[in-house]
Amino acid sequence: MKPLRSIFIVDDDPIHQQITEIMLDRLRVTNDVKKFSDAQDVLDHIRQHLAEPASLPDIILLDLNMPVMDGWEFLEAFSVLRGSLPKPVKVYVLTSSIDERDRQRVSMFDFVEGYLTKPLTNDIILGLAR
Amino acid sequence: MNIALLSQVVEALPDPVAVFDAQLRIVLLNSAFIEENKTNLAIELRAGDSMLRLCDAAPHVTDQAIGHWQRALSGERFSLVVPFGQPPLHYKVSYSPLYNETGDEVQVMMIIRNVQQETEARRNERFFRSVLEHLPVGLQEFTPDGWHRNMNPAQRLILGDEHPASHGPYNVFNDGINQRSGLTRLLEEVKQRKGPVKREMLLGYNEVHDDNVTRIQPLYYEVTGFPVLDLQGEIACLFIILSEITEKKLAVLSLEKSERLLYTIVEHLPVGYIQFDNFGFIRRVNQTQRRFFASTGLEEQPGSNLIQDPFARLFELDQLFIQVLQKGKMIRLEKKLEFQVLSNGAKTDREVFLDLTLFPVEDPVDKDQIVVALVNDITEKKRQELENVKTHEFLMQTGEIGKIGGWEVDMTTRQMRWGAQTYKIHELPPFTHMTYEKAMSFFSEESRERMEQAVGACMQRGKAFDLQITVNTARNNTLQCRIIGKPEYRNGRMVRVYGVIQDVTEQYRIRNQLTRNAELMRLFFDTIDMGYAVMDKDGKVNFINRKAQEIVDHGKVIGRNIFEVFPTLVGSTFDARVRQCMALQAPVSFSNYLPATDKWYEFLLAPMQDGNISIFTRNITDSKKMQRELRKANDQLSSLNKYLVNQNKQLEDFAHITSHNLRAPIANLKALMQIMNDTDGEQEKELYRGMFQEVIRNIDETLNDLIEIVQIRKDLNVERERLVFSERLQKIKDILFVDIETSGIELLADFSEAPHIEYPRIYLDSILQNLLTNAIKYRSAERKPMLRLQSRVVEGAVMLTAEDNGMGIDMERYGAKLFGFRKTFHKNKDAKGIGLFITKTQIEAMGGSIHAESRPGAGTKFIITFSPE
Repeated sequence: MKPLRSIFIVDDDPIHQQITEIMLDRLRVTNDVKKFSDAQDVLDHIRQHLAEPASLPDIILLDLNMPVMDGWEFLEAFSVLRGSLPKPVKVYVLTSSIDERDRQRVSMFDFVEGYLTKPLTNDIILGLAR
Repeated sequence: MNIALLSQVVEALPDPVAVFDAQLRIVLLNSAFIEENKTNLAIELRAGDSMLRLCDAAPHVTDQAIGHWQRALSGERFSLVVPFGQPPLHYKVSYSPLYNETGDEVQVMMIIRNVQQETEARRNERFFRSVLEHLPVGLQEFTPDGWHRNMNPAQRLILGDEHPASHGPYNVFNDGINQRSGLTRLLEEVKQRKGPVKREMLLGYNEVHDDNVTRIQPLYYEVTGFPVLDLQGEIACLFIILSEITEKKLAVLSLEKSERLLYTIVEHLPVGYIQFDNFGFIRRVNQTQRRFFASTGLEEQPGSNLIQDPFARLFELDQLFIQVLQKGKMIRLEKKLEFQVLSNGAKTDREVFLDLTLFPVEDPVDKDQIVVALVNDITEKKRQELENVKTHEFLMQTGEIGKIGGWEVDMTTRQMRWGAQTYKIHELPPFTHMTYEKAMSFFSEESRERMEQAVGACMQRGKAFDLQITVNTARNNTLQCRIIGKPEYRNGRMVRVYGVIQDVTEQYRIRNQLTRNAELMRLFFDTIDMGYAVMDKDGKVNFINRKAQEIVDHGKVIGRNIFEVFPTLVGSTFDARVRQCMALQAPVSFSNYLPATDKWYEFLLAPMQDGNISIFTRNITDSKKMQRELRKANDQLSSLNKYLVNQNKQLEDFAHITSHNLRAPIANLKALMQIMNDTDGEQEKELYRGMFQEVIRNIDETLNDLIEIVQIRKDLNVERERLVFSERLQKIKDILFVDIETSGIELLADFSEAPHIEYPRIYLDSILQNLLTNAIKYRSAERKPMLRLQSRVVEGAVMLTAEDNGMGIDMERYGAKLFGFRKTFHKNKDAKGIGLFITKTQIEAMGGSIHAESRPGAGTKFIITFSPE
């Protein structure tokens, strides 16, 4: 079962990147995981590949607290960019924050598929694939 | 001379004219002359008649007239005013000599003109002018445009010699003082209405010297402005009349003051007080009355009318009110009220007796007729009275009211005998068998003891006695009696003791009542929260209540002269005001600060009819001090509030830090555990162990940072010391020597304006180190790095600025996070986002603040304000 073509992990914590990648691999939900430490790099990647749906992810797992461009700024930019995407890209916020204010603020972006708190579990990952 | 022409001229003149010659013969005369003489002298003159005919007709002016004619004939031209007739009318007579061709004088022309009107007008003007000059009120005249024209001496006195109107052109509308006093507005109104306008104004101040006290007294005037209109109805000139009413105005003001004090007294009267206006509306009710209302359960309704008020209806106060108002007389009566009271959900009947006094008063300020009702709850007294009446009736029934009864004890038989009145006093049927022991049993225990002592002394030493005792009668009434006993001797032996017993209950009660009334008065004055004293005109204190005694705080004052007890009072404000009160025979009130006790007092001095002075005084220090205390408490509260807000903010910060920075590695640990458990591969497990170590190292670091922060926040009282900026900077330069050298950063420091600071040494070192490290870490690759440090004093606080030429930061994007925990903005491996957070914590812990200004690519400037010490 490989329903998902590609997943982007956007997080500045290298350990987290590594763990998530291992978990995704284990459950074989995808065979293409890309890791980014900075939201700006993701944004640049998407802009450059607007014409190539194959290079775009099915799912983005987005952290909120990152240097340079944080998750919030990414969500703002992505909401503008979303309309011109050749295929649907699901965005999940994946953060260590359990602050209710962060959750509410995320809910303002209606295109965000879900607010996930770390750590990821197998059940959650399988839920993503469904 | 052309006679014909002259004759025409003469005839044409409107005044009576005659021309006569040297022989006093009339040569010419006009019809006006003929007419005048016909009317006034009843003679008809014609040409050719002698002027002497006039003298015949009015002999009393003959000499004078002939004299004048001779003067005229001698060639003199003159005119004079002569009175004539009864009442005298004034005529101006002009004589003009006429000459012929040769120049010899031949004739005289006499013109008579009635000048009565002019004479009267002139006299009137003189009269009115003298009236205005002597008017006791100021009068000033202005042109319609407001230019000063004229004023009378009274006005000059009011304005004073310095006033510009006395020295040159003066416009009343251009004078700023008049704007403020309202004079300008008044005159404008006069112009607009073309009619008089009257108003009271405060136009100046007067210094009053009262012994060695000088007081500024306001001067009030009644100002009347009015226009004088010309025939066309336009304003010809404006007048103002100034009439001083200071006395009246001050009297009104002082009345208002007394009114206020009176209010306080009324409020504390132990008698109910209700005040109605002349329409029957309740205007004032004092606390006793309010309590009474509350106890009766009747609603007091200040807004409602007497006619509708339930209380008033119950009392039939409406009728009484009309009676008092119409007849203007005081009414005093007792009323019995029966009504139901709701208590504990049940209605109970209550009966109340009231001593009602209603009297009309003229309100001293607005002169309205008002009605005051004094309501004294005399239920208790009434009940006693009724009781007494009952007793009285009972006594009447049993015979005469017991007065004085006789008694005797026969020493030989020890037989006791009573008179009829004695039985009555004891309320026993007459001639009941009586013994000494039985008689004693009617006395109260205490009375009996005294009685036995007295009787014993009488029997042993023959001492007479006169005692006041309490008797419990056979009908169990308690009486106060006076008992007098004397021994009688016969042949040197005592044969009997005899005497009288008198029921003095009534007298005793009255005396008791009197003392109680006096006591009540004293109690009243002792209870009111106001010092009250009475002193005579020399200062001898005749009465002083407890409160006043407390205020003067001096052993014995009563009966002594206050000015001798307190010599400092001589010549004080108090002294001056007492004399003022005596002189004016009017209430005087003032407040005074007594430095000895550091207290403020408000005084009212009121003269009494017997020549004494009532002094009311109240300590108003507390209300003044309380205000100050309140303000202080408020300040403390707001500073505490600020502190709490700050604490809250810090707690929030911590919650945020815990949520983000501690949960993240823990989440990693959890995930790692899961994947490690899911695997069997030893190699894979080894990899995970490495990752475990990494995460744990990370947690350890975060915790250490947090501990440092908590330490700083906890150490609010960390010791401050006097630090020299340049010395501390040198220390940091030594520590960062390698970094400075490798980066090649240029350090510029100017601490000349504020070389020192009182601050914790480790904090200042840490702050300086962070600033310098930041400047090195985020230097621009494009230029030689530089950091400029400068200290200054701004508004009493030391300010330190650190300005670099580094990479700078986008303040719009990152400004909010710049000082946040674990916030970084550069892809710099060294960046941990902890330095500035610690710096900010250290500064804020000591009450200071930090903020930054920056432009990307240009550099950053940190501005630190240390709290002023």
